[in-house]
Amino acid sequence: MKSGRMELVCPAGTPATLRAAVQAGADAVYCGFRDETNARNFPGLNFSREELAEGVRFAHDHGSKVLVAINTFARVNDVDLWKKAADTAAECGANAIIAADIAVLDHVAKNHKQVRLHLSVQAAAATPEAIGFYATSFGIRRVVLPRVLSVQEIAALNRAIEVETEAFVFGGLCVMIEGRCYLSSYATGKSPNLNGVCSPPEMVSYDDEPNSTAARLSGFTIDRYEPGEPVGYPTLCKGKFKAGGKTSYLFEDPVSLNAGGMIAGLKAAGVTALKIEGRQRGKGYVTEVVHAFRKAVDAVGQGGDAIEIDRILAGQSEGSRQTAGAYSKKWR
Amino acid sequence: MVAGNTEPRLPAVVRHLFPAFAGLPLGPLLTLSLRSLAGRQPRLFERLGEHRTACYFIDPVDLAFAFTVVPDAERSIVRVVRKSEAATSSVQIRGPILTLLSLLDGTLDGDALFFSRIISISGRTEAVLALRNTIEDAELSPADLLGLRGFLARFADTGILGALSVARQMADRNSRRKAPVA
Repeated sequence: MKSGRMELVCPAGTPATLRAAVQAGADAVYCGFRDETNARNFPGLNFSREELAEGVRFAHDHGSKVLVAINTFARVNDVDLWKKAADTAAECGANAIIAADIAVLDHVAKNHKQVRLHLSVQAAAATPEAIGFYATSFGIRRVVLPRVLSVQEIAALNRAIEVETEAFVFGGLCVMIEGRCYLSSYATGKSPNLNGVCSPPEMVSYDDEPNSTAARLSGFTIDRYEPGEPVGYPTLCKGKFKAGGKTSYLFEDPVSLNAGGMIAGLKAAGVTALKIEGRQRGKGYVTEVVHAFRKAVDAVGQGGDAIEIDRILAGQSEGSRQTAGAYSKKWR
Repeated sequence: MVAGNTEPRLPAVVRHLFPAFAGLPLGPLLTLSLRSLAGRQPRLFERLGEHRTACYFIDPVDLAFAFTVVPDAERSIVRVVRKSEAATSSVQIRGPILTLLSLLDGTLDGDALFFSRIISISGRTEAVLALRNTIEDAELSPADLLGLRGFLARFADTGILGALSVARQMADRNSRRKAPVA
């Protein structure tokens, strides 16, 4: 951490969730527009221009910041949608824009110098050289770290870079190369990185079958659940498949990140901000998770620990299972 | 998908007060209420986008009847229907009535309820998501649905939410009594 206490960055999928996050103790909330320019482009989610302006006013009145995610990759001959989103975010008074596409970063750097630029996790920048390139070229002030680094690696990275780092501490996980997912595109024709939607809901179905429920994506069976067993949203990376005669979670277990017990370690590693995933989740989730992390971050700030957070948040994870992810990885 | 069996359900005595025909007058009343809400808060329905014309089958598993809802702003329609009419709808949402009402007033988190299978959905998942996000953002109170303001609104909210809270506590106790001992 470059200086001061750790910042708690919280998700807001709707204006009501933004208010809930702010009131629960978020130092900053992140949100996106109701289109393909952000990586949570789900039906009924996100902000109009008017809603963002109102949200920014509300957050600022309560001492919180608003970070706008314009973090998908622009299409050839269609960059204007992304540039216009950046212009709107700046006009609404956003404190920062979170972007990954070089065209978007360049546009913000040249036209909106008053707005901070945060490098999205989608850029997958995990080395001093890569981060240095973005800092030198576009003046990024913070990098959201890809979820592939151990705490020791983050500490080493922080010693070698000048910009702030933001680390995910809670919520859904992607497979371990950020910003380059082709699985959803293969099955559905839509990309999380281009269209902003992983496993588009119009291609998701939950089908009752004898003694089980099948979760399908575009006709592919992703998982089956026994009666009463907790279910998950069917993403290909967390699907159960048969390979080599064995049925298993081939790519990744359907677990959620919970690094609540590692806040002190991340602080010592120099992390500036802690990020909670879940713009697609509701007010109940946001309120409970932000409350819990607010307490934990404050406790760590005062020299205490945050052990209780695991118990408090156990029910909020998709599939009700949690992991510390790469932060405590034992592999290379 | 089948809803779980351990969630709080209405006690039998309350269920008997709501036989199939008891729900019938609710249809026109809820239709009026929804249309009136659309007149007062048009932005609320914009969030549904194309899904405002979808037909949602809402099945309170502890009541003898279900609802179909087409949340098309000032053209909204709510009907009380038989449980067997689910197939004609775009989306089916099932769960105990008190849990479904908790989603409406924001007391409980829909995702957590879904992942733990206390509520279940089938049909067009994108329409369910749009509805869920719209309800989440609407922050509706009983007074909003009844079109009340001022003192009456506060009175209705306190009374109805208080009654729901008592009903949930009764249902919780009822469910715990019936749960098998390990």
